[in-house]
Amino acid sequence: MLCQNCQKNEATTHIKRIVNGETTQAHLCSDCAKSLGYDSMFTDFSFNFPDMLSSFFNDTALASLGAHTLRCEKCGSSFGDIVRSGRIGCADCYETFYDKLLPLLERVHGKTNHVGKIPNSFEEIAKEEKSEHSELETLRAELDEAVKAQNYEKAAELRDKIKELESEGKTDE
Amino acid sequence: MNKWYIGEGDHNDIVISTRIRLARNLKDYPFPARLDNKSKIKVNELVRDALEGREKLDYTELKTLTRAQIVSLAERHIISTEFASSSDGRALLMSEDEQISIMLCEEDHIRLQVMKSGLDLQGAYELADRIDNEINEKLEYAFDERLGYLTQFPTNLGTGMRASVVLHLPALAEKGQLNSLASTVSKLGLTLRGAYGDGTAPFGDLYQLSNQVSLGISEKAAIDNLKTIALQLAAQERSAREEMKDSKLTEDAVYRAYGILKSARILSTKEFMTLISRVRYGAVCGMLKVDLKTINELMVSLQPATINAFVGRTLTKDERDVERANIVRDRL
Repeated sequence: MLCQNCQKNEATTHIKRIVNGETTQAHLCSDCAKSLGYDSMFTDFSFNFPDMLSSFFNDTALASLGAHTLRCEKCGSSFGDIVRSGRIGCADCYETFYDKLLPLLERVHGKTNHVGKIPNSFEEIAKEEKSEHSELETLRAELDEAVKAQNYEKAAELRDKIKELESEGKTDE
Repeated sequence: MNKWYIGEGDHNDIVISTRIRLARNLKDYPFPARLDNKSKIKVNELVRDALEGREKLDYTELKTLTRAQIVSLAERHIISTEFASSSDGRALLMSEDEQISIMLCEEDHIRLQVMKSGLDLQGAYELADRIDNEINEKLEYAFDERLGYLTQFPTNLGTGMRASVVLHLPALAEKGQLNSLASTVSKLGLTLRGAYGDGTAPFGDLYQLSNQVSLGISEKAAIDNLKTIALQLAAQERSAREEMKDSKLTEDAVYRAYGILKSARILSTKEFMTLISRVRYGAVCGMLKVDLKTINELMVSLQPATINAFVGRTLTKDERDVERANIVRDRL
């Protein structure tokens, strides 16, 4: 089969693209594939993500998402900027545009929840939260027992401690 | 100092090398595309300082290197072609044996890479993990509990890890099985593509197998999965080699390749890679007494810009092909 682009060389690169359920096929020689940007499809770290992003969100989809009005507070990127450049602006963009990105992430990875390594700082936070939590639980159990034993003096003391811990948790949030 | 590719490693009849790459970003800075050069250099220096006294790494701003030196680093897979494409605001941390390299301000603030020879995913990951922790002790990473490590391209979210192995698959290539194998492994979340040359006609029958998905799979599961498939490909390659081994045609191809490499006066990259692939196969099968270390080293070091860097000046293509033939004759 000859290359569809130059009609000269044998087609060695066969590309099937499915965009919004519509399948298109291209048969190209390696030179044309390269010049049309298909050679980098499977480069090491990302299969041409910018192309993928722009084919996923066409202009109408962008307009309906209100892509040009909502901006990331930290780096100032709008969702339209991200689609145009093919790159996420900063860590906070993931928070700001989470809902819009989610269907795309699902398509890329098949899943949308991280499992695996957690950075040190997050591990500590997770542990602290857990220990605070369990301290509260212990105090509540003690309070129940104190009430059952009709030891009201101790129960009042425990109730004050619990309130204190709970309010600390709230101010942290 | 021995380079990473000179060692031998497990399954070295087929597996040339193992690589782990981790993508990381600092919490307090936008991703590289939104940074000016001054901020990029600030980020680079923060990472350099975080590892100061922990790892023995040389810090080099890319703009202090010549074009040939940069392309040569890319040819030896120490840096990515993307990293080599621009030197503005980019820097490299590298160990003397080239086993560890950290690309700073490529598509992410940090692209940490560890190479091992042969099949050693576990060893490569442990080293990468250690350095990752050392950086993280000093600098806070961009991380989200749902999405994992946050990266400039959402394709690297989650673990931010790409694990890969380079496989020498001459017998499977000869049997024309690579396209169907590539489509099979893609269904398992992996990618198989040419490691040198363009993707459609790879040089030297060298193929890279890597994980495609990084979100929703742990580092260990991704590595185990990759290792299982790599070993299966290796087993298939061995049985294909076994089938071909006794044929006169195979024997002839191996000795012809060896003869040409030992006597040629001009060798292009493509011809050299095709012939050295046959010689490597002959050496593994016991037909030829050539050291695998020598072969691996030649395969890595005779790419165009690496020859330029070795000679110390930019050669024309014709001069380079003569120089390549000289080096090969000398080493074999």
